[in-house]
Amino acid sequence: MVEAKIKINSQTGLHARPASLLVKEANKFKSNICLVKHDKEYNAKSIMSVMSMGATFGDEIIIRASGEDENEALNSLKSIIEALKD
Amino acid sequence: MFGFFKKSKEVKIKSPIKGKIINLCEVEDEVFSSKIIGDGFAIKPVEGVVYSPVEGKVVQLFPTGHAIGIKTKEGLEILIHIGIDTVSMKGEGFTPYVKVDDKVNVGDKLISFDLELVRQKAKSDVVPVVITNMDVVSELKVDFKDSNVGDEVAYVKLK
Repeated sequence: MVEAKIKINSQTGLHARPASLLVKEANKFKSNICLVKHDKEYNAKSIMSVMSMGATFGDEIIIRASGEDENEALNSLKSIIEALKD
Repeated sequence: MFGFFKKSKEVKIKSPIKGKIINLCEVEDEVFSSKIIGDGFAIKPVEGVVYSPVEGKVVQLFPTGHAIGIKTKEGLEILIHIGIDTVSMKGEGFTPYVKVDDKVNVGDKLISFDLELVRQKAKSDVVPVVITNMDVVSELKVDFKDSNVGDEVAYVKLK
């Protein structure tokens, strides 16, 4: 299992558009991928789950991946979240 | 013991808002029109109140109150997104009446919003109603018409 902490820098947070980008990317990988906020895990492959996290500007979340392509998954999702701008 | 193997389940989705039911492909936002998030329909609202289209549980309510997700007991997840690019309004004009984990019945008041303000500030006032877990759906039929709150507007057959 690998994980990375990341801060949400998008003013509007992880809602429909960024969440759908993220989920689309997450589904390219075989690994089990979660996003963690306030110790609660959310399935990064489910749009409803990602939106239910309610991640907004300034929130710190953790990306957690486990599986055969966990490193690629982690790096790819990290760069998507880092690139989010409004 | 064969009770577990009942024929496939179905969900009838009622109109959550008074307005015209249109095809998702007419929504001015490719996140919805290309159905990346899921399939369903959209409403051109004539009133600023959203009622529950199904019986279920509130599974997500973004802090800004402009979108809500409900999961039915059959396992269908439905997202109601008020307007396009309304996330940037940061909650202004949106009043939620429920919270996450609340059980809701068809017709329960979920969110009210200032329709005029949405028309002024957002890209569009259209309200996509989207099934976000289409993998559990085998059939979706939508009745494109002018609807009142509570009218049956979509029929979903689950796998």
